[in-house]
Amino acid sequence: MSSRQLTLHIFRYNPETPKQQPTTQTYLLQEEPGMTLFIALNKIREEQDPGLKFDFVCRAGICGSCGMLINGRPTLACRTLTKDLPANITLMPLPVFKLLGDLSVDTGTWFRDVSVRTEAWVHTDKAFIPDAQEERMDNETAQQIYEVERCIECGCCIGGCATANIKPNFIGAAGVNRLSRFMIDPRDERNEQEYFDVVGSEDGIFGCIGLMACDDNCPIGIPLQGQLAYVRRKMALAGWRR
Amino acid sequence: MQLQRALTPSRKADLLTELVQTVSGLLLVGFLWTHMLFVGSILLGVEAFNRLADFMEQFRLLDIAVVFVILTAGAHVGAVLRRIPSRWQEQKIVWKHARTIKHNDTWSWIFQAVTGSAMLILITIHVFVVVYAGIDSKLSADRVHSWMLAFYAVLLVLAEYHASVGLYRALVKWGVVKRHSLKRVLTVITICTIGLGLASLGVFFALGGS
Repeated sequence: MSSRQLTLHIFRYNPETPKQQPTTQTYLLQEEPGMTLFIALNKIREEQDPGLKFDFVCRAGICGSCGMLINGRPTLACRTLTKDLPANITLMPLPVFKLLGDLSVDTGTWFRDVSVRTEAWVHTDKAFIPDAQEERMDNETAQQIYEVERCIECGCCIGGCATANIKPNFIGAAGVNRLSRFMIDPRDERNEQEYFDVVGSEDGIFGCIGLMACDDNCPIGIPLQGQLAYVRRKMALAGWRR
Repeated sequence: MQLQRALTPSRKADLLTELVQTVSGLLLVGFLWTHMLFVGSILLGVEAFNRLADFMEQFRLLDIAVVFVILTAGAHVGAVLRRIPSRWQEQKIVWKHARTIKHNDTWSWIFQAVTGSAMLILITIHVFVVVYAGIDSKLSADRVHSWMLAFYAVLLVLAEYHASVGLYRALVKWGVVKRHSLKRVLTVITICTIGLGLASLGVFFALGGS
């Protein structure tokens, strides 16, 4: 089988030289068997352009740092095989997040801000006793928490969300999903009104207009539509009782 | 906590607006489908249509329907306006975003906003015409047998599309259903209702010519 020649159109921009307009640079690359975009981008950086900025850490879909728009679709570059793409590949950084340069964005600041605003940690009055045995949780609850906690915070749901693109304070599917994890967790002693305070608004669940680009693009397949609906119903009831 | 948040502790308004949007939307979908079935009575003959129209006028159902539509549609417009990006910059971002990610449900939302805005004008005209002229098969036939045919055909397609996408989104957001099977069911319903509407328009057009 003769290998294809890939043409990669890559977004280039350096925020430190703002006078230079964003451009699209084209690179040619010979496709190899089993090639992922992780391999392709590293080859380009090694052989053609050492200045190209992009992020990878684990190259196995665990760290969530290589989220980008691949032919427009927000997904993980390390898990995308070039054989599943046409010979022309367009790469752009995820929108919404702070652009660090080329394909590299800072998702951490955004996620940190959402965590702080939604108070995404276990709220409890119980004193922590280091020697005591941990309280048991029933298996079903643990499974439910695990299912939503698989989120790797790659930001694909946020980059794909039109609402997040125009509303800087909207916490998006990742934010709602993260909070839903605490709603399920029996150790979190917050009542529904306290949850409503942090998520029952236009910046939270009621800002979602149901485009479901998050659900369609989550690279690890978290059932985001279900989580959004679960939080929406819970918060509607809580708000109604206010 | 900031002062403005401390002074407005109950933040129920966002929920209430969302509920107004959803409930008014669902009511309007129900109204539209009933309306199209009633208009479709022309397929059973002029007699059936006129009898239904007389019945509605006799029991003031027409008046009630008009008041209902004005109130519900008004509430719906008031609630959904907040969703339409108001700044030019936001409009550019949304259109560019939809073109970039090539995602069907994102495009359908843009069309939802566009059809909704167009319908606001068309429905206002439609309601005015019906209120001033009343309902009668002869009147309708003469109206349809003119340039107004295009008006009704466009309004029909826009309304059925908007209703279908809106219903889909409401059910998806509140999580009552499986998304992809719902889409198929709604596509079939929309094709049927548009077909019924076009058939009714066809009958009126033929009647108007005779």
